[in-house]
Amino acid sequence: MTYKPGICTFCGNGCGHFLKIVDGRPAGVFPSRNHPVSRGRLCVRGWNIHELLSTPQRLTDAMLRKNGGLIKVSYDEAIAQVVEKLKKFASDSPDALAILASPRSSNEEHYLLMKFARAVLKTNNIGLDSESGHRASLEVLNAGTGFAGMLGSAGAIAGADFLFVLDFDITKQNPILGSELHMARRAGAFMVTLDSRTTQIAKLSDVFMMAKSGSNKVVIAALAKILIDEGLADSAYIQKYTTGFEGFANLLGSLSYDDINTKTGISIEVLKEIARKLVSSRRAMAFYPSGISGLDVETIGFLFNLFLLAGKIGINGSGINPVTGLNNLQGGYDMGVAPDVLPGFQLLEDPKAHAAFAKAWGADIPTKKGRMPYELLSEKSSKLKALVVIDHDEGIVRYADRLKELEYIVYIGAFENPFTEFAHAVLPIASYIESEGTYTNTERRIQLSAKKADPPSGILPGWRLVCELAKKAGASWNYASPADVMNEIAAVTPPYSQVSYEKLRKSFGIQWPCDTQNPNGTEYFSADTSTKKLSFYPVKADYSIPTVSTEFPYQLMIGKAQHFWHQNNLMRLTKIPLREYNTTLLLFPEGYVEISPDDAKSLGVREKWPVMVKSHAGEMKAAVKISGEVRSGTAYIPYFIQETISKFLLEHREVLARGEDATIPVKIEKV
Amino acid sequence: MYRIKKSDIVNIAQELSKEYGIFGPYIDRDAGQVMFDRLDDLSQIDLDAPIPAIPPKHVIYPHSECILKYSYDPTAKKAAIERIHSEKPKALFGLRSCDLEGIRVLDRFFLGQEFVDEFYLANRKKVFIVSNTCVKPFAQCFCACTDSGPSAKEGFDLNLTELGDEYLIEAGSEKGKAFAEKIGLAKAGDEYKDKKKKAIDISLDLFTDFAVENKAWVSRVTNRVTTGFIKEEIWEYIGNQCFECGACTFVCPTCSCFNIEDVNIGSGATERIRSWDSCSYEGYSKMAGDHNPRKPVEDRRNKRFFCKLSYSQSKKYLRPGCVGCGRCAWVCPGDIGLPNVVTYIRREITK
Repeated sequence: MTYKPGICTFCGNGCGHFLKIVDGRPAGVFPSRNHPVSRGRLCVRGWNIHELLSTPQRLTDAMLRKNGGLIKVSYDEAIAQVVEKLKKFASDSPDALAILASPRSSNEEHYLLMKFARAVLKTNNIGLDSESGHRASLEVLNAGTGFAGMLGSAGAIAGADFLFVLDFDITKQNPILGSELHMARRAGAFMVTLDSRTTQIAKLSDVFMMAKSGSNKVVIAALAKILIDEGLADSAYIQKYTTGFEGFANLLGSLSYDDINTKTGISIEVLKEIARKLVSSRRAMAFYPSGISGLDVETIGFLFNLFLLAGKIGINGSGINPVTGLNNLQGGYDMGVAPDVLPGFQLLEDPKAHAAFAKAWGADIPTKKGRMPYELLSEKSSKLKALVVIDHDEGIVRYADRLKELEYIVYIGAFENPFTEFAHAVLPIASYIESEGTYTNTERRIQLSAKKADPPSGILPGWRLVCELAKKAGASWNYASPADVMNEIAAVTPPYSQVSYEKLRKSFGIQWPCDTQNPNGTEYFSADTSTKKLSFYPVKADYSIPTVSTEFPYQLMIGKAQHFWHQNNLMRLTKIPLREYNTTLLLFPEGYVEISPDDAKSLGVREKWPVMVKSHAGEMKAAVKISGEVRSGTAYIPYFIQETISKFLLEHREVLARGEDATIPVKIEKV
Repeated sequence: MYRIKKSDIVNIAQELSKEYGIFGPYIDRDAGQVMFDRLDDLSQIDLDAPIPAIPPKHVIYPHSECILKYSYDPTAKKAAIERIHSEKPKALFGLRSCDLEGIRVLDRFFLGQEFVDEFYLANRKKVFIVSNTCVKPFAQCFCACTDSGPSAKEGFDLNLTELGDEYLIEAGSEKGKAFAEKIGLAKAGDEYKDKKKKAIDISLDLFTDFAVENKAWVSRVTNRVTTGFIKEEIWEYIGNQCFECGACTFVCPTCSCFNIEDVNIGSGATERIRSWDSCSYEGYSKMAGDHNPRKPVEDRRNKRFFCKLSYSQSKKYLRPGCVGCGRCAWVCPGDIGLPNVVTYIRREITK
């Protein structure tokens, strides 16, 4: 029996698999047919995950930078130096130290790291390396429902009759969830896709709304307006379950029908049909990406409000569903890995929550909310001097110049990573199959991953390493196992209060809230059991869309998450997925800009011809890729290929931070 | 022909285990899934279990294996090459007939053409095969349409058929016969031929309408695929639903494509890894100079079915490339397993 059941930890889906272990090394993989999320399916990444897990490119020694180079040292020596330095910077100034956690760490690792930061180092400057996408979702969902996670679940999709996919190349990003949507559509559900670019899921939908880039929010607002104007809104539901309807309804007044069509390119008739389908459905579910690529708070707010108007939040499994791109992004937030929240999405600045943690931990914790590591990196005037980075994926490379100025950087990770070039200390840890741990997938499913192989000689699992750091810093931590850590998590995290390893071992995971009311977890949010009224999210009546000028006539979209996302620090360690990723790169070694056939004609360029892409801030050279997947007047640049991230794109950091729907006005010139 | 009491069947595995590592079907306790893998505790063998989720091809043709190691010592200017292959004798115990046909297709691919694959050969020649007749088909099965079941006709050393409270055991090779004689199995009289035929007839009657109806259609679709009389739109329709995950190829008992990669493992040493590959991946058919004869996804799908259902391919395999196990339908995120593809082409033909 060389095939050991477990979970795939590539993306946020958390599919079930069997990993084949031969002589202590992963040598194959097979899907798990009874797993409730994946039911026998895996994607290209999942089918090749053993290649990543068996890579020889591991970090196997603790290292310290001496005379410019990283020198192998003992764990003890490295831990001693790291703790001494971190303590010094932590007491230096509130902004001097920040911790950038990885959305790939287990819940136990997250929890201990968060506790180490707050209770031992006394800093709240801790955040996840995923930017703001998922946080924006949790913000809206928590404010609206008190439920800071996906409202529905993967299993609920099969029973849905209205599916709304927003700005989401889901069959490439979260393929198994995409499959679930495709299957539901084949079984009769009505599926609508809204995107500025043609995707596979768009082709598989009943209606594809190819909106002008940057107009997603206006499309959603228009649907809301139609619901009200046509008398389609579910007034009984609104009255029974919600607050804040008036304010939202009033704010739609300033949106005119003429505007809708010119701004979005979608006809009112199509929007009306969709609005009618939405309200008449039994179970309506919306899906959008959350994490590195995501929607902004305002767009999510409008979406949430649209579903409230239609009476489709918390009824029969209806609701809006952010989909995480990384395996434990949800778990990271659940564990309070954020500058302002404690485990269970309890606000740090809430004196009651704060006091409860101080008591549980027997330690003082700083009361003022911290700052995101990215904020401190990008803000030129910040006093950031030291940074701890765990299993880095993406994003931070943008701050290379700033990183070089920092006094001390610690890198903690399992795999070789280009980020170690910046590090002053490197602490290796075990990979996820070399230690026990739990991971919370996008539908709040807490899953236990068993240990299946031994780590490289002498290497500690992440949770043990954090314990060693804390002990060295003087804390009296005494965790015997990850199960022990979970017991403490359950004691302080209300939605996890009834979770235990014993329960998890007997299941394919438990969806939080798992508490005394729901000891076996919760499949989807229900408005009937909600302790408070659902509230319309306070959005702004801003219906502007990015405009082009005669000088810069193209809207440039920056695709952050297509296919092999995250600049491939992990993909690089595989063979077959790397080859697939390289096929794009071989064709366009310096990146490409995708334009429509009409635009190519008017520019007088053909496939692979070089062009200059210019904006007010700078310019870059790229090869032309002609495709029918973008509208005329829009251009698309993939951001997921590290080699193609030029200085030009880095100049537009603020656009990148606005999410997948943000655009840059540019002109394109033939070279 | 021999026979043995049903409750004694594990004794055969026990006897085999003296010479061979035993691989058989079992139910994984944690995940509740039927797998086919190496078993140390032979009491876990479950011959009544539905066909295993994983085809046994991985036993002789692993998902990923190191086939060669080489290193270069620059100071001594010496290169060392080490060939790696496993020649441990293995017994596949309780193989279903579809999976046996799958192995026979792999044999023809790896051994029956101009070049013989030494690694496959080394593994394969020490394999003892005990197949197991399906006295009832399982939900997704359609081996009746692809001439690969419900009982194996050849290629086994021993073939088991459950007949009430005993198993009929047929020897299909000298090796199988010698083994049966050695362990002194009770002889079965001629009347068992009839009993077996009846059991197979009952099994065939139990196939779902879908499998029975499709019998002729698999042949007709093979004809269409071979002659290329299938409209582009049909392939496009199928291609649009392909998620390019590779699952259909990995679970297919007859898919044999592989990738070779040399992986630097440090200190000047390199491992040559061979692993399963898939025609659904764009990089699979990519050639130098940016040429790809099968770039659009529908062309890659169409290639797969050309491999499974065409005369030219059947000439190489001496049978259809599909063995009717139905696993591709289980694992496909796009719902375009082979039975559905046959249905789509059939719809076009009847239109």
